[in-house]
Amino acid sequence: MARFVLRRILLALPALLGLVVLTFVLSRVIPGDPAATLAGDAATPAQIAEIRAQYGLDRPIWEQAIVHLRQVLTGDFGRSVFSGRPVVEEIAFRLPATLELTFAALLISTVLGVGLGLVAALDHNGPVDHLVRLLSVGGLAIASFWLAIMLQLVFSMELDWLPLRGRIDPTLGAPPDITGFLLLDTLLAGRLDLFWSALRHLVMPAVTLALPGLATIARFTRSGVLEALQKDYVLYARAAGYGRFRLAAIYVLRNAITVTVTQIGLLFGALISGAVAVEAVFDWPGLGTYAVQAILSSDYKALLAVTLVVGVVYAVVNVMVDVAQALIDPRVAEEMS
Amino acid sequence: MRISLRSALLAAAMLALAPAADSQSPAHAQAQQRPLVWGDNLPASLDPHALFDVPSQFVLLNVYDGLYRYQGNPPELVPWLAERHTVSEDGLTWEFTLRAGAKFHDGSAITAEDVVYSFKRLLAMNRAPAAAFRPVLRPENITARDERTVRFVLSEPYAPFLAAIPLVAIVNPRAIQPHVRGDDWGAEWLAANDAGSGAYRINPETYRPRNQLDLERFADHFMGWSHNQRPIDSVRVRPVLETSTRVLALMRGEIDATDSYLPTDQVERVDRNPRTRVARDESMRVFILRMNNRRPPFDNLDARLCFAYAFNYQGFNEIILKGLVIRNAGPNPNNLWGNPPDLRPYNFDLNLARQHCDRARAAGAPLGREIEIHVQTELEQTVQAAQMFQADLRRVGVNLKIVPNTWAGITSSTTRAETTPDMWVHWVSTYFVDPENWIGQMYDSRFHGTWKASSWYRNERVDDLLTRARTSLDRAERERLYQEATRIVVAESPDIWVYNTVNLRGLSRRLQGYRFSPVGSGGELRSMWLEN
Amino acid sequence: MSAALARLLRDPVSALGLVIVLFAVVVAVFAPYLAPYPEDAYESHLLQRLRPPSAEFPFGTDNLGRDILSRVILGTRNALVVAVSVVVAAMAIGIPVGLVAGWRDNWVSDVLMRLTDVFLAVPQLILALALGQLMRPGIETAMVALALTYWPFFARTVFAETRRLRGALFVDALAGIGARPTRILLLHVLPNALPAVLVRATIGMGFTILTAAILGFLGVGAAPPSPDWGLAVAEARQHLPEAWWFPTFPGLAILLLVLGFNLLGDGLRDAADPRLRRSRR
Repeated sequence: MARFVLRRILLALPALLGLVVLTFVLSRVIPGDPAATLAGDAATPAQIAEIRAQYGLDRPIWEQAIVHLRQVLTGDFGRSVFSGRPVVEEIAFRLPATLELTFAALLISTVLGVGLGLVAALDHNGPVDHLVRLLSVGGLAIASFWLAIMLQLVFSMELDWLPLRGRIDPTLGAPPDITGFLLLDTLLAGRLDLFWSALRHLVMPAVTLALPGLATIARFTRSGVLEALQKDYVLYARAAGYGRFRLAAIYVLRNAITVTVTQIGLLFGALISGAVAVEAVFDWPGLGTYAVQAILSSDYKALLAVTLVVGVVYAVVNVMVDVAQALIDPRVAEEMS
Repeated sequence: MRISLRSALLAAAMLALAPAADSQSPAHAQAQQRPLVWGDNLPASLDPHALFDVPSQFVLLNVYDGLYRYQGNPPELVPWLAERHTVSEDGLTWEFTLRAGAKFHDGSAITAEDVVYSFKRLLAMNRAPAAAFRPVLRPENITARDERTVRFVLSEPYAPFLAAIPLVAIVNPRAIQPHVRGDDWGAEWLAANDAGSGAYRINPETYRPRNQLDLERFADHFMGWSHNQRPIDSVRVRPVLETSTRVLALMRGEIDATDSYLPTDQVERVDRNPRTRVARDESMRVFILRMNNRRPPFDNLDARLCFAYAFNYQGFNEIILKGLVIRNAGPNPNNLWGNPPDLRPYNFDLNLARQHCDRARAAGAPLGREIEIHVQTELEQTVQAAQMFQADLRRVGVNLKIVPNTWAGITSSTTRAETTPDMWVHWVSTYFVDPENWIGQMYDSRFHGTWKASSWYRNERVDDLLTRARTSLDRAERERLYQEATRIVVAESPDIWVYNTVNLRGLSRRLQGYRFSPVGSGGELRSMWLEN
Repeated sequence: MSAALARLLRDPVSALGLVIVLFAVVVAVFAPYLAPYPEDAYESHLLQRLRPPSAEFPFGTDNLGRDILSRVILGTRNALVVAVSVVVAAMAIGIPVGLVAGWRDNWVSDVLMRLTDVFLAVPQLILALALGQLMRPGIETAMVALALTYWPFFARTVFAETRRLRGALFVDALAGIGARPTRILLLHVLPNALPAVLVRATIGMGFTILTAAILGFLGVGAAPPSPDWGLAVAEARQHLPEAWWFPTFPGLAILLLVLGFNLLGDGLRDAADPRLRRSRR
């Protein structure tokens, strides 16, 4: 097993290295000259050139690439061109916000997805089954930013049940900052009012983000349960007098774990992508809004770091998923070696 | 229509998650007055010498002080950290005398040496706010004559020098020095910290870039607080990124102030809401459609005139923007000096436009080609103007193509005429209150390569007039020179000037003492108080 | 294949998908004739801004007074053109890569698949955003960006199929009688991989429409005055909650078309090869 884990990690490394190079090439060709923007109004071309030299933007691109690679390997992502702050620090503020949102979405996807899949399987080819199937295909067809806006329109603007935007009610003051996960921090600080506010702010973004995952998990749970219900041991158990529902419930616990674990790896990329749109609509101060801001202001240092961080998180999740799968089902490990 | 939507929504809502009760909160909330929640954008950096844009003016005005400051509307230059200044006959030597007793947030006194340090830091960092000074001011020519006197010797006469002085924040070298790394002048530290003397101080603990900034009142501010019986002790800046969300957040009481560019469609709604109102203040911010005069067909006067007559000023200003802007005939805002009193704006006249276009075509101007207009995607007005223009130009046989872009993207392409787009849309705001900020830097060919001069207009007579206006200290003469230059420029129609902005800021009604000035757009917190 | 089609049509849900897609194609082809006000693709009517739905304007009008129904109809063509071009371009890159990498175990294969992994290691949207901004923003750029980020999925699919087939008896037999590898790959392996590619392509269409809409929404996709659906939703945002009809109908159009492709893709997968039922996306 240890060898499998090691091998899996080693496999991920070249991809990450490639990613560093790819993102660098990308970022250095983004339009917009950061030096021109920094120099500001009425700066003469000579002044802009001076700033370009100051940031090393005038060196040959391969030289910049080597410098960049060396910095990244030593954990130095540089400073945001615009704020002058270390990019790592800015990301550290924002990563927890995105992760909190993503975890909440995963939780919703799993719980509701497994539930719906189970119900659908038990009503195989019945009306509920068709409805769930339609829903699960629909869930993958809905544009996240549009759903987000529609939810805002209904639940915030018209009904006024949920907050429109942000992570927490600003009038309650700056939230405690321990881990960056607001739900956790507010509880640790014993501030139930803040916890409640954070929870209410999380509902709509998390639900929006959860929908595609929910749809996927529902599908797989459904087919998993259906398959299992036809297995010999289940037929035997049924003959022995176990009810369909009870069997499904026993089976589902095991199956749900396997399905979810398998899907998380795939879903995670979709979740992060979805988070960009959802964060933009709900004004969620996470990595998605940071990436969009970085692109809009041609802050190449920031963009490089975000892409890389997301890539690393993605790779780590995938390694973890593979390992978890191998633990659940040792055959996977054999197949992959 | 409304009622049926609502009832349909109510029914649909039954499916949704449990409604959460309003969080009229436990223990902590009502202990003291609710703080002010400011919803306008934060600058990328809190360092006042690193950036100069509208959001950074908020930090400059509240956390820092300058030697002089603009107050009121129309803006008046008033002595601030300096109590007076003198200028030599030749306009080269400027001496500022500091007020006695002014203190930084750490309690140390503000001295002439600190002012020298601040200007040297500004010039050494060479970022946006330095641009106005670099051509005329060298670091070694800034000196402290004594504790309270600073002397600047310019390399050439520069009339707008005083007008630009409020751009420069005086920073506390004793606060910065321990955090200097290499030759960065403490820039990394100051981007998230406070070295000022302003009416409010930053709480660096809770600062999150572009997202969250808490300010506390500085009771020992040198101007004192006698002008304000109930100043606001604690201000929370919580930017809301998207415009419509910002308006809704205001109307729901989540924030007390929006940015100052409320979409005109929202004004009526915000005014109608019992909790909120809109402050309308004529500013100095001109909306312009640029043309690249170096690139055919815009090197042809008739082609430019055709475009100038094809823009539906009335339709855009009065219908799309609901009359909440003021038609502006030339590059300088109407409410600034230096405009000819009888300057006539271009009007929308498709027949005239057609005639000019025909004449341009006859002269060989390539009006048949697709002409690109670059808009700033995140600013909807630039898109709307381009779309409306596109529809009208089609009627005179011109094909306009809209290209989405960003501020950073466009301004980096304007460094050379070949890469500057055919047309682009933007505003020129008040950086300092002087015609130099508009016509001076927009149409003098010495500024070619900067975004302000991106129409690449060149006229030797205009260059000469603007140069003389820049170096003369005689206000009456400058007035005359700018008027003449404006007349020539407007007749040659290098760009399309549309309107001067009326700043529209949504405010909660409990917020009182809001004082607008085109510099800073009313973001100065000193004068504000809250009613319950 | 016809048996598969019959199986497909017997399933009501996938038949529905086919109907939706065909409907969209018809609307796209005849858009200028079907739209009540076809000139509203670029025309603006300032005096009738933001009218609610009525008999005259069934979907209401937008911020420049244009008929939203007409723009939704005209936008169908854009959506389909984007989807088809992106998927075809992605196939053009992905299929050869998959075939070559799947055929032999050598360094070429390794390099190609590592490259695929690199592209797969960044979430597609972020990559597309960066690429879209990198070249000039616009619908063409968005299409290139989407194609450049979607090909790895085809590469993976074809790679897996090629790996499976290269050990098959008939391939060994062909190699035994001296057939050239290109011939085997193109004439024998590729056709066998086709069902999987077709399924992937159908789902890719829906996925592309969604991602293109997000790019349009974030301002790096289609440019005004294009009747692009994602762009319309973005333009609508600042007119909420009053103009609820403005984002609603373009959004529903996205939903319907993507739903059609997804249902069809599902049906195709089941019909073409039940074995594939478990792989998704």
